[in-house]
Amino acid sequence: MSRHAIGGSPARVGGLDRVTGGQQYVADIHVADVLHAKLVTLDCARARIISIDTSAARQVPGVRLVMTAADLPQPVPRFGPQFEDRPILAVGETKYHGEAVAAVAADTKDAAERAAALVKVEHEELPAVFTIAAALDPAAPLVQDPALRPGDPLAGTNVLREHHFGWGDVDALAASADLVVEGTWTFPMVTHFAIEPHAFMAAPDGDGIAVWSSIQHPNWLQKILAKILRMPLSKVRVFAPDPGGGFGGKQHVKLEPLVAFMALRVGRPVRLVLTLEETFQAVRRNSTEIHVRSGFRADGTLVFRDIESSYLLGAYADIADRTVTKGSYAAVGPYRVPAARVVARSILSHTTPSTAFRGFGNPQPIWAVESSMDEAARVLGIDPLELRLRNLARRGEEIIPGDTPADGDWAQSARKAADLIGWGMPLAAGRGRGIAFGIKSGPTTGLSYSTVRLLADGSVIVYAGTSDMGQGARTVFAQIAAQELGAPIDWISVVMGDTAVVPYDQQTSASRSTVLMGNSVLAACREVQSKVRAMASRVHGVDEALIVVENGVVRLPDRELPIVDVLGPGLGRLGGELIGNGEMRKEAEPGHPLGGSAAFYEFNCTAVEAEVDEGTGDIVLVRYVTVSDVGKALNPAQVRSQDEGAAVQGLGHTLMEHYIYDEKGRIRNLGAIDYRIPTSMDLPLEFLSETVENADGPGPYGAKGMSEGALLCVAPAVAAAVRDATGVVIRDLPLTPERVWQALQERGTGEHEGG
Amino acid sequence: MTATQPIRVTVNGRRRDLDVAVHHTLLDVLRDDLALTGTKECCLVGECGACTVIVDGRTVDSCLVLAVEADGTEIITVEGLAVDGRLSPLQQAFLDTGAVQCGFCIPGQLLSGTALLAENPHPTIPEIQEGLAGNLCRCAGYQQITEAVLAAAEAAQAGPTEVER
Amino acid sequence: MHTFAYARPATLAEAVALLDAHGPDARLLAGGTDLVIRLRDGSARPSVVIDVKRIAELRPGIREDSGRFTISATTVMTDVVADERMRHHFPALVEAAAVVGSVQIRNRATLAGNVCNASPAADTAPPLLVYDATVVAEGLGGTRRIPLDEFFVRSGITTLGPGELVTAIELPVPGRRMGATHVRRTRRRGHDLASVTLCCAVDEAGVTRLAFGSVGPRPLLRVDETGVLADPAAPAEARTAILEAMLADASPSPRSMRAGPVYRLAMLRVLGTRALATAIERLAEGESRR
Repeated sequence: MSRHAIGGSPARVGGLDRVTGGQQYVADIHVADVLHAKLVTLDCARARIISIDTSAARQVPGVRLVMTAADLPQPVPRFGPQFEDRPILAVGETKYHGEAVAAVAADTKDAAERAAALVKVEHEELPAVFTIAAALDPAAPLVQDPALRPGDPLAGTNVLREHHFGWGDVDALAASADLVVEGTWTFPMVTHFAIEPHAFMAAPDGDGIAVWSSIQHPNWLQKILAKILRMPLSKVRVFAPDPGGGFGGKQHVKLEPLVAFMALRVGRPVRLVLTLEETFQAVRRNSTEIHVRSGFRADGTLVFRDIESSYLLGAYADIADRTVTKGSYAAVGPYRVPAARVVARSILSHTTPSTAFRGFGNPQPIWAVESSMDEAARVLGIDPLELRLRNLARRGEEIIPGDTPADGDWAQSARKAADLIGWGMPLAAGRGRGIAFGIKSGPTTGLSYSTVRLLADGSVIVYAGTSDMGQGARTVFAQIAAQELGAPIDWISVVMGDTAVVPYDQQTSASRSTVLMGNSVLAACREVQSKVRAMASRVHGVDEALIVVENGVVRLPDRELPIVDVLGPGLGRLGGELIGNGEMRKEAEPGHPLGGSAAFYEFNCTAVEAEVDEGTGDIVLVRYVTVSDVGKALNPAQVRSQDEGAAVQGLGHTLMEHYIYDEKGRIRNLGAIDYRIPTSMDLPLEFLSETVENADGPGPYGAKGMSEGALLCVAPAVAAAVRDATGVVIRDLPLTPERVWQALQERGTGEHEGG
Repeated sequence: MTATQPIRVTVNGRRRDLDVAVHHTLLDVLRDDLALTGTKECCLVGECGACTVIVDGRTVDSCLVLAVEADGTEIITVEGLAVDGRLSPLQQAFLDTGAVQCGFCIPGQLLSGTALLAENPHPTIPEIQEGLAGNLCRCAGYQQITEAVLAAAEAAQAGPTEVER
Repeated sequence: MHTFAYARPATLAEAVALLDAHGPDARLLAGGTDLVIRLRDGSARPSVVIDVKRIAELRPGIREDSGRFTISATTVMTDVVADERMRHHFPALVEAAAVVGSVQIRNRATLAGNVCNASPAADTAPPLLVYDATVVAEGLGGTRRIPLDEFFVRSGITTLGPGELVTAIELPVPGRRMGATHVRRTRRRGHDLASVTLCCAVDEAGVTRLAFGSVGPRPLLRVDETGVLADPAAPAEARTAILEAMLADASPSPRSMRAGPVYRLAMLRVLGTRALATAIERLAEGESRR
């Protein structure tokens, strides 16, 4: 039992199917008579659609449907989590390279592909904007129809929203700063590149519809589909098989409505599996330009921070403006900052719609702010770690007035990381060290229901609507049930991903599931325990008040029994089971800029020792340390998996990832050959991940959420190490060898090899 | 009309006679004609390794092999690694070390790891990293995957044991 | 993918006849790691694909005969890398073949295919040039031997004639002791396409051979017979001047996604200088790699 208990690392629930090839992702699910769908897109970003000729496409044998916007209800329904701006198919105009203009459904993939290529779309390319500067130009074409934002003074611009946060009087305090450090940092467009491309399937289901999607938020999808299809929720069944990686790119509705309409139109199941290239065209992270001005006293105390951020969104808002809000709100960092001013703009462009991506708007300001801390340290002559520790909020101190105070001993994580990297120890020649802190607030509102059924033989079924996309939620919930109800972990089934069977879960995001759904499962287990207590009282003739049920055990005054030993006699001849329901709710706080205060913070310290080949610009990460404050690691192996994965994903945008757009707004490096992500050979030579666990989180057993923290400050830590090793300051990502080399050339002196 | 051609392949020890479309890849045929969906589709350009299978003892990206080219070959997919329902030591090691997260890249990793160990029963960490570099993973920091291969190598050295499930 | 007919000739004569019959509508298929990608993206639309892997005369293998190695056209990179004789005589070629893609790619990609695909960034091209490779081609007119330096024209284009297919790559056993190395620039340490790929060899007579690719329409070979480059004691300016002259024809494309032209030209010099030093060192060590 100890192997399965909280804090142990039992084998992943669902792991067996994953190692045998039995795991069914959306593309694998066998459905009889399914039609294969293929999208029709244009080879340009923005174009006016003049006409669509589907006649040749419809002639292809096996083609059952060619759908365009004209075939949809008029006006074409629009959807989106923040703005209902995205049409099911492009209406009148495509707004980004890859936006679907039409879709084909056919008996075979070959027929669908052939037919899609035969759809003739007469179109006229239109002027478009792909950069912040271009989008903000007063003469810029508008990405979004102003009619979608009636009464919004910004509606006549490409600025979707402007956010203002702050406290204190920055300008008044600025005078008292001994040093002001200022700079602009840029963060590139990058994409999630989950190894499973997005996949969607829909089938008529009686008088309703069944929809399969690699979606992270099945209930949200259900809500949107019900509205668009004008069906009651009870008739919209969403199956959400475990996604093959999500990272935020699969949070929100994308092509499910289209596939649903197609299935209803032909009366047969229709499946659409995106190619990897189409996935790159579908989702990305906001790119940014962030200007940071920070004031310090000579002793390193922070006086103020003044931050101005431009986030470049895509053609449709998706949830990207929310990432701007959340990222900017906490942009000042985990420090005591007497005065702050943050202005952040969400700017639309004719590019791939940006969406949630691990870190949710935080990595970009952290890149800027932590880099500016490093620069301040150099100028002040204060050790970069010491400068941060001097300003770091202590447990219980507010970092953002009115919001959740610092909820951990963050200095502990920092010191642990510093220890592991050997901070302060002598460095070999040509090497440098860098360190950075990252913070992200967890969910601000939330709602998770769960049901736990304790069956007659002591086995358990847990119903939890979380999406397990690799982070291991399924296993964590099974561990909680194992801990509370005493069932061996392989006697526990966790049912997820079916809105007809599993109760409501708002969403899987913001590292919330261990805390929110975990507490819900815990509550459901406790309800079952209370029923066991009543049963034990009845069976053994002992007053309930004298019985304790915990950790799988019934404690009577004179002895202890495993729960299963009470079940038999308790259920009696009619048999049955015990059912518990749990609800974990975090209510909205009206008036709060984020809608609610942070349930918890993810805090991470990343430290790096690096060497730079000055001849080529190659960065070699000699040693890499990441330490996250997780409260309690319910499953240490999974925590390590997530932290190391987050770090490597962060190394991606730090060292090699970026979209390359051409002047016409087409992505040039679509696909895996020219969009590079880290391979097993790209790891730091020594790579350590550790945790701090003080059981001080709001989740079960003191857990906090985790899995985004280790991505937050990868870039500034690496850049600081590069600076320490070479003296060069680079403010743009990724730090490709070419970029580093260019910076070295501009630095001057140093070695010049060859000519 | 699509030209088809008969091929004979042995897949996971079982002989199959198939009529395949000439332009279909081995990946297409495994997934669609043989319903062996354990082998995954991702980049389709031979970069990510999600489609890795073993053909005549060597790993290949099945997305770059036409099914007709595979005529007469012996193919192993992830479904063929467990024998009589018993996981291979490598499969078990993947479970034990926490190497599996979302699982989508795992069939490919397993095939590459299996082939590596068959050729090099005592690989070093750099050899494992290089041997599996053609299998991209977006979830992992790769280290647990490497540790799984090492653990399987050590288990094999220790001799056959009853694999605990 | 567009459909096509698939032919699997059992003999060379059959293959040649097929090529002759279909002309430019035919494409040869060896490893498929280039062709299948083109078939899928539509940049190749042959009416017939001719699979060369079962041709009796082209069985995979490396033969040595009278001072010459013959690598059959179906020999894959993995086998080149594993061959002890290749490692002994042509270590820089082995270094290059070992970084062509991943294990999965190397198990399929053929040396001949890498050459015929004629990408300027082909990693095996610089060492093959340095080692004086010859392409052996077969057509209706018989056998032709084409020195590799005369084989490459520009990206995707070779001097292979219509109706010809490559049956082997030949490498003469080096007559003199050599030190050689292959180096390249990539965007990550994991497998990648090169933004500069380079091979340098120095022999005991003081001749330096330098071949480089991915910095122009085709890989180039340059030779210094003055002995100056091979002499570490020669004055730096003289060596630099010669190196500069050898690299003068590099003309990297400004449109490349992998790296810009300024960086590539600079890296050509950096890698050239480092490779030269390594080659001299290896010659001095007097032993071949592994």
